[in-house]
Amino acid sequence: MKGYRKYFTKKIIWFFITLFAAVVLNFALPRLMPGDPVAMIVSRVAQGINDPAAIRQMFESYQERFGLDRPVIEQFFIYVGNLLQGDLGLSFSRYPRPVADIIGAALPWTIALQLPAILVGWLLGNVLGALAAYIRKGFDKTLMPIMLFMGGIPAFGMAVILLAVFGITLGWLPVAGGFEQGLIPHFSWRFIASIIRHYHLPFWSIVLISIGGQAIGMRSMSIYELNADYVKYSRFMGIKDRKIVGYVFRNAMLPQVTGLALSIGGMVGGALVAELIFSYPGLGTTILQAIREGDYPLISGTALVITIMVLLAVFILDVIYGFIDPRVKATQYD
Amino acid sequence: MGKIMLEVNGLTTKYITRYNEDVYAVNNVSFKVEEGRSVGIAGESGCGKSTLALSLMGYYFAPLHYMKGDIIIDGRNISGMKPDDVRKNILGSEIAYIPQAALNALNPTRKVIKFIEDVVRVHNPKMHKKEIYDLARERFETLNLPAETLNKYPVELSGGMKQRTVIAISTILSPKVLIADEPSSALDVTSQKMVIKMIHDLMELGYIKSMIFITHELPLLYNVTDDIMVMYAGQVVEYGSAEQMVFDPLNPYSKGLMGSILVPEDGTRDEKIVAIPGTPPNLKNPPDGCRFAERCKYAKPHCRVYHVELTELSNGRASRCITSEQELREAYKNE
Repeated sequence: MKGYRKYFTKKIIWFFITLFAAVVLNFALPRLMPGDPVAMIVSRVAQGINDPAAIRQMFESYQERFGLDRPVIEQFFIYVGNLLQGDLGLSFSRYPRPVADIIGAALPWTIALQLPAILVGWLLGNVLGALAAYIRKGFDKTLMPIMLFMGGIPAFGMAVILLAVFGITLGWLPVAGGFEQGLIPHFSWRFIASIIRHYHLPFWSIVLISIGGQAIGMRSMSIYELNADYVKYSRFMGIKDRKIVGYVFRNAMLPQVTGLALSIGGMVGGALVAELIFSYPGLGTTILQAIREGDYPLISGTALVITIMVLLAVFILDVIYGFIDPRVKATQYD
Repeated sequence: MGKIMLEVNGLTTKYITRYNEDVYAVNNVSFKVEEGRSVGIAGESGCGKSTLALSLMGYYFAPLHYMKGDIIIDGRNISGMKPDDVRKNILGSEIAYIPQAALNALNPTRKVIKFIEDVVRVHNPKMHKKEIYDLARERFETLNLPAETLNKYPVELSGGMKQRTVIAISTILSPKVLIADEPSSALDVTSQKMVIKMIHDLMELGYIKSMIFITHELPLLYNVTDDIMVMYAGQVVEYGSAEQMVFDPLNPYSKGLMGSILVPEDGTRDEKIVAIPGTPPNLKNPPDGCRFAERCKYAKPHCRVYHVELTELSNGRASRCITSEQELREAYKNE
């Protein structure tokens, strides 16, 4: 157990080092973008005002309020200091709404869309891939080209196809938004039904793509494992085929678990395309707006959420992987 | 003469390749193994040794297919049985197998004892975990394997330990016939010795009643088995006691095989290495007549025409050669 504690400590230290590097980048990158956010706000607010002095004063007062008149290093320490207190700052573009508030409103939509989609796509893909490897013959030969096709379509392509076919040509499902326009979010059957109807297209556009990729990966892993020496030996020791298939798929699943953890971690970034195409009110849409308007705090805030989710997913994976694969555990103890 | 544990009559099996060609890797093989005795099978690679081992289990999966012949274990003919009956009643308990690549023979994510539970439960589905553990621990301890091995994953064992663990698992149900396919080939000499000792112990303690040991290392066979059978191109070419086969091989192929052994004596470094020229024939289209004729330095024109059967000689030996014993001995003497 001592070796494991050492491994665990090392992983925690690395977690914080990467987190720090990410915070620095999150702070720096938006500020390297072209365009002056304050000028953007002022030009919006100052429409109709012609007095240059008044505009200048407005500009300076905004700069002071956002702290952009101070040296960059000082801004950084203020940013980190606020972060440690859990304060992500105020949004520039939706001033004076706090960034945490904006993220808090968008995140549930993203998670509710992505998490089930990733899990369903992962499960279906793995089951189909495993079956293709085990049954072979016609099933494999018809399924695999379909999977390759689905896995090969870029995310936006799949979303646009679904949108065109089911949303526009057939007109079965609404093409945009998280719920019917004009409805006020509240707890009622009508509102829930509306959410579910709007959910279908973005959900399936994500599921279909991940099924393809997962099935292809699982199929190759399963074929590899099915030909392993232990399969032959287990057969000759009289063990039932069904039990051996259990051994094989458990082992073939292991690399797939890594893929699952990474897609859950990268969920927010992965949501971008589906959310944008279907104008879904999630974090992806928020990020795009923030970038368009040079909203430093909001960009940093959303990027931080993404970073933390990816880092956490990798960290959790590192820690639990040893329990699901004894070969990895052996290296953790070293 | 002891009780016959394994009797094989005219066993023929074939591989069907991806292009639907038939490859008869085991062709009309017959032999007997008595209780308490062991038979070694020797030959170059590609001669059908390993395929014979697989074929003897009576449990076939593609690309290997059963053609004809009988496999009789302790009076019970298993070659006509349904695959599922063979699996439940024969494999592991009557006839057991140690694979060629024993280093990868265990599922890497399953503890040794868990796999033993799976094996034992094929035959005794109701057996309690505790009983299986006790059986396994007792067996491991008798065979000088640490009992802690049971609670380990295969990755935590060294190569030699893994091999001995596989042997202990294969024989946990005390099979009547053990088929060991090159069990020591991938090991260093110390581990090799331990494996051989373990197999000796298994025989002596009666955990196995007879054994077939396959290897390409002829000196090893002389130390391990009572009889030796030499295979070439899917056929048995010579059969005899280990003593006879090593010191007095009669068939030109066996003679060549024994002659190729490098003995670390003075002068070995400077001597020309003797080997059988050429390679074994392609079994998709085996040659007419004697299959070895192409490479045999004693071959005569009629060797390539007439089919030869394995013929019994004196002292319980048998050889497959059209040239008579006297003629061959003459030829060997004149070298």
